[in-house]
Amino acid sequence: MAKDIAVHNSELRQRIIKTVYEGKDGHIPSALSIVDILNVLYGSFLKVSPETIKSPDRDYFILSKGHGCVAFYSVLLKYGFLKEEDLEKRFCRANAILGEHPDCLKVPGAEASTGSLGHGFPFGVGIATGLKIQKKNNRVVALLGDGECQEGTIWEAANIACNHQLKNLIAVVDWNGSAAQLQPIDDLPAKWKAFGWNVQVVDGHSDDELIAALQGAVNAPGQSPNVILARTVKGKGLPFLEGHGPWHHKIPNQEEYAMMVEILGGSK
Amino acid sequence: MTAKSVRQQFADTMLELGKEDPKLVVVVGDISHGILQPFAKNFPDRYFNIGICEPAMMSVVAGIAKSGLRAVGHTIAPFIIDRSFEQLKLDFCYQKVPGNVVSVGSAFDYANLGCTHHCYSDFALIKALPFATMHAPGSAVEFDSLFRSTYKDLALNVFRVPGFPHELDLDKRDIVPGKAILIAEGSDVTLISTGVQLRSAVGARELLLQKNISAEILHLPSVRPFDSDRVRSSIQKTKYVVTIEEHMRSGGLGEDVLRVAHEVGARFESVSIPDTFVTWYGTYQEHCEKFGLSAEGVTSKVADMLQR
Repeated sequence: MAKDIAVHNSELRQRIIKTVYEGKDGHIPSALSIVDILNVLYGSFLKVSPETIKSPDRDYFILSKGHGCVAFYSVLLKYGFLKEEDLEKRFCRANAILGEHPDCLKVPGAEASTGSLGHGFPFGVGIATGLKIQKKNNRVVALLGDGECQEGTIWEAANIACNHQLKNLIAVVDWNGSAAQLQPIDDLPAKWKAFGWNVQVVDGHSDDELIAALQGAVNAPGQSPNVILARTVKGKGLPFLEGHGPWHHKIPNQEEYAMMVEILGGSK
Repeated sequence: MTAKSVRQQFADTMLELGKEDPKLVVVVGDISHGILQPFAKNFPDRYFNIGICEPAMMSVVAGIAKSGLRAVGHTIAPFIIDRSFEQLKLDFCYQKVPGNVVSVGSAFDYANLGCTHHCYSDFALIKALPFATMHAPGSAVEFDSLFRSTYKDLALNVFRVPGFPHELDLDKRDIVPGKAILIAEGSDVTLISTGVQLRSAVGARELLLQKNISAEILHLPSVRPFDSDRVRSSIQKTKYVVTIEEHMRSGGLGEDVLRVAHEVGARFESVSIPDTFVTWYGTYQEHCEKFGLSAEGVTSKVADMLQR
């Protein structure tokens, strides 16, 4: 099974490790944790394209856990928002448009300049509020980390979103167990339910489960906002860096990079 | 005469603009809910009393603006400027998302609520934010003019609504964001006020005349942008300047004026709040007297400086 999943989105995964290896910076395990979610969102759900990034009718995606940006950039490249030359040997270079957290004034398709945790999601709650005021049908999707859910503003905003009946808002939590490394009570479903949200728990590396959950959120009765708690694995696809070890912010050397490429079935 | 409350003017301005501008949205943190009822009743879809959650409130205000609306966030100064500073910095300024903040309870307006409810560092903090403007209207007409002429701008506009307005009449045409207003001409010293402290400047000018000292008064309803040109031309002439503000000495309007005074070789003094926590209780008026934020306090500072 591990081998099958390693092949899953292997081109995106190769793009992630190549970007970090060349840029000498980035969070590989966090990116591998969310890349399948991002691919489903951009490939199968969000109504936004490179041509509509300024359209008032677009769907808004907020990468609230901004440090997962290398996955975000790789997905933006795959769907035509970024060009190859934006990433190729340009990540984190002086005067580049792509840094280790996305800058929405530089990155086409990025709706928020995230990095400081606990900002993107409340900002998305505001966008959803604004769209509701304007009686528009577009949606807001925010991707949060489970570690980020330790921030107080997440729960302030969750409370606001439920009380304001923001059905046009979907939160996806990258539930990779980071939070439990620090605070072991890992009861996200109960917490979100207590805040009045519709809660679904899915495998965050399964396209089918993610797509079904997103459709479930759209079709849910009532006006409550929806959260998808996506069980994920940090470093998914590269067994030797899966989990919560030293790889959180480690840059591979030449040998390690070659090993990663080989596992992902790519050419060096 | 009793001056119109600036807070009431805030509510009136919102109602009037709300009728003209279908994009205006007001979000409050459980403050001024009563006086904003006319706005709330007329525009229920565009009014939110969001509760006690100021940082998320300010992110939400930014998000509302991002969706294409014109948003105003309103609550007590320390809970926006201090507690939600990072939201102002990142969600508005860094991302260049426009918006408006209207604070009440700045400086020691809530004198006896203690330091948790004081905010005399708002100028300093907002000045540290590129993309932000800082306005300190001292009267209803100043608030109304400044708000109307800036709230659609591509900026984060911060308005400090004072609890105790000055009672002086200003010509609406003179109130321009980022511009000083020449209140009175003089030749011996320039008094520079912001916010409600125009009243101390005007009172001091009368007392100084009795000492044969001619004071020019410049009033700055905006701290950012700072009208350095007008300040420079006045203190080049008088060579003595005193700033009067309800703000800590560090980081306030005085520091901007001091920079200009240094350029032109003028003597500088500041009437302001010391760089300390004011743990004193008592009334607003008692606080003003304690720190020399009065006609007498300013007069005495000028007389000492001029040795007359």
